Amino acid sequence: MSMDDVMSKLKAVNEKYRMFHAMTDDTSAGDADFLFSAKDNLTSKDMETCAGSRILEGYHPVFDATSISKLRDAGGKLVGKTNMDEFGFGTFSTNSGFEIPRNPYALDRACGGSSGGSACAASVIEDHISLGVSTGGSICCPASFCGVYGIAPTYGRVSRYGLIDYGNSLDKIGVLSQKATDLKKYMELIAGKDDRDPTSMVQPDFDTSYTKMRSVAIPKEGIEGLSKEVEAAFNNAVEQLKGMGVDVEYVDMPSLRFAMPAYYVLATSEASTNLARYVGMRYGHQDGDRTQKFDDFFTEVRTKYFGDEAKRRILLGTYARMAGFGGRHYAKAREVRQVVINDYKKVLADHDAVLAPTMPFTAPKFDDISKMSALDSYKADYLTVPANIAGTPHLSVPCGYDSEGMPVGMQFVADHWNEKVLFSVAEDWEKQFDLKRPEVSI
Amino acid sequence: MDVKTVRDVAKFAHIALTDEEAERYCKELGDILGYFELLNEAPECNERGVNPIMVADIIREDVPKEEFDADELLRGMDTYDRYVRGPRLS
Repeated sequence: MSMDDVMSKLKAVNEKYRMFHAMTDDTSAGDADFLFSAKDNLTSKDMETCAGSRILEGYHPVFDATSISKLRDAGGKLVGKTNMDEFGFGTFSTNSGFEIPRNPYALDRACGGSSGGSACAASVIEDHISLGVSTGGSICCPASFCGVYGIAPTYGRVSRYGLIDYGNSLDKIGVLSQKATDLKKYMELIAGKDDRDPTSMVQPDFDTSYTKMRSVAIPKEGIEGLSKEVEAAFNNAVEQLKGMGVDVEYVDMPSLRFAMPAYYVLATSEASTNLARYVGMRYGHQDGDRTQKFDDFFTEVRTKYFGDEAKRRILLGTYARMAGFGGRHYAKAREVRQVVINDYKKVLADHDAVLAPTMPFTAPKFDDISKMSALDSYKADYLTVPANIAGTPHLSVPCGYDSEGMPVGMQFVADHWNEKVLFSVAEDWEKQFDLKRPEVSI
Repeated sequence: MDVKTVRDVAKFAHIALTDEEAERYCKELGDILGYFELLNEAPECNERGVNPIMVADIIREDVPKEEFDADELLRGMDTYDRYVRGPRLS
């Protein structure tokens, strides 16, 4: 299918899958070399940017995020901004002030989160890449649920300039695609130090040379609590890996079980400070009554436009930072982050990657998600959170399908700055894996 | 966690809660904070980085430049004489 054919069907595709919050009106690709979309927490000059939140409704940024401008400079055409959980707060892209993306393999199921719209677009649209953002697993989770490849690079590899912050010490911009080979190609375009983002690092060169993966470590903590079908698909994939000449060893990484509570303390603490800036002035909705005292004005706007999960995380993070509780848990969470990093470094001294299923189950139905408690939902992230808290690069590949045809993913985690081994194993995997694309009848 | 604490935190965070919301968040946050207690069992560590990777190059030269047109930045904001209009301070 040509890019113009894709463009001509874009609106119809979006009506079916609801992956875009904002999209181009163009029906032709013009002189673009490739088409891409971006999660809606990346600012874009030509499209409204809301990060899934009604409090930002009407916000038209005056600048592009660095990752978007780099893809435009390379000949890319931005076709849409993808639906997501409000500010990235979720595992299923259902915590949105706008549309909820539908899973390409079953419309009554979720795409995963929080880059759900990006994974959906990458899965449904031919030859498409989408920029996602991961804070606690928001690239690999939806990649797994939507049957695509996704990478979250080393923290600091890609500039966060133009990214609407969730957690400054956690947010990473990455790429999702149907093709493993695209991850390397487009990550290379967006990586690099940026003077506009002090946390983008002076970093080792982006090495794209082939490095065969020789060994992986599977933490016992990473294969607990799996659904039977995910467990079976993962075990089958491990056998395939062995057939590719990869040594597999089962190891203990006891720190992984502390990553989840540490992550939620750090992430909500950072989020609650970042979201303090949304008060009905400067960005988005500005319809508050300015004759009110500022406390009342701010409270009215924030109460009206923040969604339920945003309020929950603001309350949690505000409490976590308060004297007494906060001093204790926030400091401990930072220690745990280092313990997890040390655990990864120790295992990765002897292995090329740490491997586990990406998610413990396949994409759930919307009905089942609505019955989950907030804590149940948080706990679903236990496989993706450790690499995110450690800032280590991680890549999810589709590795099988359950009895209802829903994709299963597995996630490789490599040492800081060692993305090249992830690209290599993904490309080797792609050559022998029978990818089943969803039926897109548009 | 009790309802009064939830209300105090919400006031500090500029969020108004109905009685139903205060009760519900109290229960949910109590469950989540109970889960956080697992951190007490985590091993000690002397290192506590702010970021997962040390940012060695965080300082840069402070060079003035004009990247954006001020009028463009003010577009869409409620302004008065090119100032952003805010609510009353008292």
